[in-house]
Amino acid sequence: MKLLSSLRTIASSVFRRRRTDHEMDEELRSHIQHRADDLERSGLPRIEAERRARIEFGGYEHYKEECRENLGVHFFESVVQDLRFALRVLRKSPVFAGVAVLTLALGIGANTAIFSLIDTVMLRFVPVQEPQELMQVLRFSPDRASAPPTSGFTNALWEQLRDRQDVFSGVFAWDTARFDLAEGGPVHYATGLIASGNYFSTLGVRPAAGRLLSPANDQRGCPSLAVLSYGFWQEHFGGAPDAVGATVSLNHHPFQVIGVSAPGFYGMEVGSKFDVAIPVCATAAFDGKQSRLDVRDWWWLSIAGRMKPGVTPEQVTARLKVLSPAVWGSAVPQDWEAEWQERFRKRLLVSVPAATGISELREQFQKPLTILMAVVGLVLLIASANLASLMLARASSRSKEIAVRKALGASRGRLVRQLLTECLLVSAAGAALGMLFARWGAALLVRYISTRQNTVFLDLSPDLRVFGFTAAVAVLAALLFGVLPAVRSTRVSLTAAMKGNPLQGAEAEGRAHGGLRSGRWIVSSQVAFSLVLLVISGLFLRSLAKLVTLDLGFDRSNVLVVGANVHTANIGHEQRLAVYDEIESRLRAIPGVVSAGRSSRVPPSRNEWSQLVEVDTPNPPKGEDAVVLFNFISPGYLPTLRTPLLEGRNFGANDTAGSMKVALVNEAFARKFFPTMDPVGKSFRRNEGRAGVPPTVIQIVGLVKDAKYESLREKTPAQSYFPIAQIPEGDESEFFELRTGNRPSSLLPEVQNVVAQVNKGIALEFHSLAAQVDDSLVRERLLATLSTFFGGLALLLAMIGLYGAVSYGVTQRRGEFGVRIALGAAPGTILRLVMREVAVMLAGGTVAGVAMSLVAVQMVQKFLFGLTPIDPTTFAAAVALLAAVAVLAGYLPARRAMGVDPMAALRYE
Amino acid sequence: MPDQAQILPGTLDLLILKAVSLGPLHGYGILLRIGQISGGALLVEQGALYPALFRLVKQGLLKATWGTSENNRRAKFYELTAAGRKRLREEAEGWNRLAAAIGAALAATPEEV
Repeated sequence: MKLLSSLRTIASSVFRRRRTDHEMDEELRSHIQHRADDLERSGLPRIEAERRARIEFGGYEHYKEECRENLGVHFFESVVQDLRFALRVLRKSPVFAGVAVLTLALGIGANTAIFSLIDTVMLRFVPVQEPQELMQVLRFSPDRASAPPTSGFTNALWEQLRDRQDVFSGVFAWDTARFDLAEGGPVHYATGLIASGNYFSTLGVRPAAGRLLSPANDQRGCPSLAVLSYGFWQEHFGGAPDAVGATVSLNHHPFQVIGVSAPGFYGMEVGSKFDVAIPVCATAAFDGKQSRLDVRDWWWLSIAGRMKPGVTPEQVTARLKVLSPAVWGSAVPQDWEAEWQERFRKRLLVSVPAATGISELREQFQKPLTILMAVVGLVLLIASANLASLMLARASSRSKEIAVRKALGASRGRLVRQLLTECLLVSAAGAALGMLFARWGAALLVRYISTRQNTVFLDLSPDLRVFGFTAAVAVLAALLFGVLPAVRSTRVSLTAAMKGNPLQGAEAEGRAHGGLRSGRWIVSSQVAFSLVLLVISGLFLRSLAKLVTLDLGFDRSNVLVVGANVHTANIGHEQRLAVYDEIESRLRAIPGVVSAGRSSRVPPSRNEWSQLVEVDTPNPPKGEDAVVLFNFISPGYLPTLRTPLLEGRNFGANDTAGSMKVALVNEAFARKFFPTMDPVGKSFRRNEGRAGVPPTVIQIVGLVKDAKYESLREKTPAQSYFPIAQIPEGDESEFFELRTGNRPSSLLPEVQNVVAQVNKGIALEFHSLAAQVDDSLVRERLLATLSTFFGGLALLLAMIGLYGAVSYGVTQRRGEFGVRIALGAAPGTILRLVMREVAVMLAGGTVAGVAMSLVAVQMVQKFLFGLTPIDPTTFAAAVALLAAVAVLAGYLPARRAMGVDPMAALRYE
Repeated sequence: MPDQAQILPGTLDLLILKAVSLGPLHGYGILLRIGQISGGALLVEQGALYPALFRLVKQGLLKATWGTSENNRRAKFYELTAAGRKRLREEAEGWNRLAAAIGAALAATPEEV
């Protein structure tokens, strides 16, 4: 409505303008006629009188223009005029326009791409009703005050909170999971959402077909029902209406589809989307005796709620604190030791706003994205500086045009506005093209940060914030590269410019202002910014190189990891050992397999298994310090991963479920628990913390070399390995590792065959160990790749800028060089003269760049590995690279200066 | 031609208001009237008058109507609005105060200091 009325105002002002213009002409002409009448009366012939009257009146068009400006109807009109003129000018120099638009498209596109990721990952509200009313509930342990609140809850806690709370109009719980859609053999995963009954209704999500889950569907012993996401419905059922009522197999259990959720809803987690949702109660079908509905230390549910009208976030937090003792007190794990139970009761419920959804991705990529935003910001600065130099050079060739327009009565402000309109037009075109680049670039980035384990999904459709950001960046860039040249170029001296030599006006002006001074500092600033980017990319590259070549304690090459899930095959814990032993020995027999092993974890794995360990030495480690990471391995594991056994013996066929409990420990374990003695032959106790269960005594039979467990960056933690034959019940997944002679993937068909021969129901998943290691470095690789790409781009832009500035300087000083050569200057002298200019720009830029880098590197410290932020090698290499390229970029035009023909140069002058 | 002075910046508006206060005038007439009432001492560039007139109309100090001039030509006639009359009074007072102050300053003799 508002838009319409403002359009009408503009339209009527355009109309009115015709009339006012006409009236204005009539009035001014009337004035001239009156004057002519007077002059005629004083004896002049009519024609001469009119001529004199017109001269006396002064600049007719100029005054008319001023009148128009004073009337004020004029602004919009003149903008259209400026735009039309700008288009004409740009069409006349397509190369300039093309280069400028492309440079800006790259610069603005990069900024928009990174910003749109920041927008989707960090800023955007989840697409549900009134997202700002949502609060997430977290748990907090006062006895571990340094640890931030975390999101996982047990089902018992969820049920207590749901039934006791009174601050939310609706509260819901969910978990994400992977559901195997296949009936056995190679897995085919769908992203699962395990949602409480009021999940959809509280979020205000509507069905696209059928109905969604309701609280009535989420009761103990419920039937297995499922809701599909719109995308999954389209992909797997082609959007067919009869999908409702159909059956899908999830982890080998049949689920009946009751409906499809509305398009555009992907769940509360930013960075992923769900395919199939099932009620919380339906998980009972997946679990055996130990259901996650009943186990009181299985932390799996996230909880969020919608605040009642009028309730503030502070009130929610306060109320949850009051409710905490009752909620925690009613959900205590009964089998925990008394002391642990006591700590459990003291835990608290807290809450945080959840309007932007919940995201692991956010925690992981917030800082890297911020760094990349700064990087692309610098690239845009360098690109703008390039365009500023280009505009300055262009200004000199346009000085005659500007002088003519000034002489015809254009005011300087008006001319500056006209020139800025040109810049804005270029910038707008760059931004439009940049938006395209950004769409493509952001999608590429999302693919880049996706890993095998975690396919990142982000809804990248640009919203108003992204458009606003892009527009703001475009205007800023236009001002950055447009203002200085516009102001400079309208400072022409009319007489000089009109006196025939079109260049002289601006050139004389330029010389008066110290030659290329402004061009020079533009280049220096480009050099400085490029240096910052080179240093940062150098640091990331070196960190990544150090991580990639790091000694992990195992050999990642040529190892195929086969994930096997026995749970889907209905094999009991008792038979499992025999089945897996059988598979392992058959796998080992496959031609091309060098060795084979199996384990409950494969490093680097986020899925840690840790427990407290006690030893009988003086001053044993206590509390957090006594936590040891566990892995259960077969005798083939260590040889297959090539983790050396330093002392003692490996596990063997004699280590069975019933035999003495034994363990291998790593060097970190030995250093921590047995600092002064040989650990082999000693024993430790594993405390499960269960009431009435005495700690297991375990004998150490061997010492192995340190190997990474969770991540490459970690300081290797204390670890112990146990025979896989002694694995406790409850953990279903195991991994087979196969060391192969050639490409691991070539063995896939044979492996599937062998496993199917033993049991067709076992779900399988494959990847190489190298890929698993790579996936753990996704942030580091992202930063290194992108900062190197942008560092290179920046270097290229800066060098084009330097080349342009030196070329322009050489052209301007042709006459001077001609005279020098005529007077006997050696070519080398001329070369030195130009290169000195280059050296000055380079030196200034380098000093400023090093200073800025020293500050900038502090920001990236967290992501470096194995080097200090102020790494002398990196700084030296960056400066050397920059200097080498700068000297080359300066030398090419400088050589032309040597070849100036004195005669030609002087004639030209 | 008597000695003519370029008018001080900012005083053109005042002169126009004064000229028009004596009766409705078209543009050329205003110019003549300024010449007449200043004894031909003040020079206004002819074209420069119009931007000022448009500004004053825009500010609501003048209003304009089309009519026929003494030469029997179509012309736009300007007259003061109420706001214009008020502004003229204020500006005139301000000017007189300034002129008196400057006059007094210039008339100062060494004895008075």
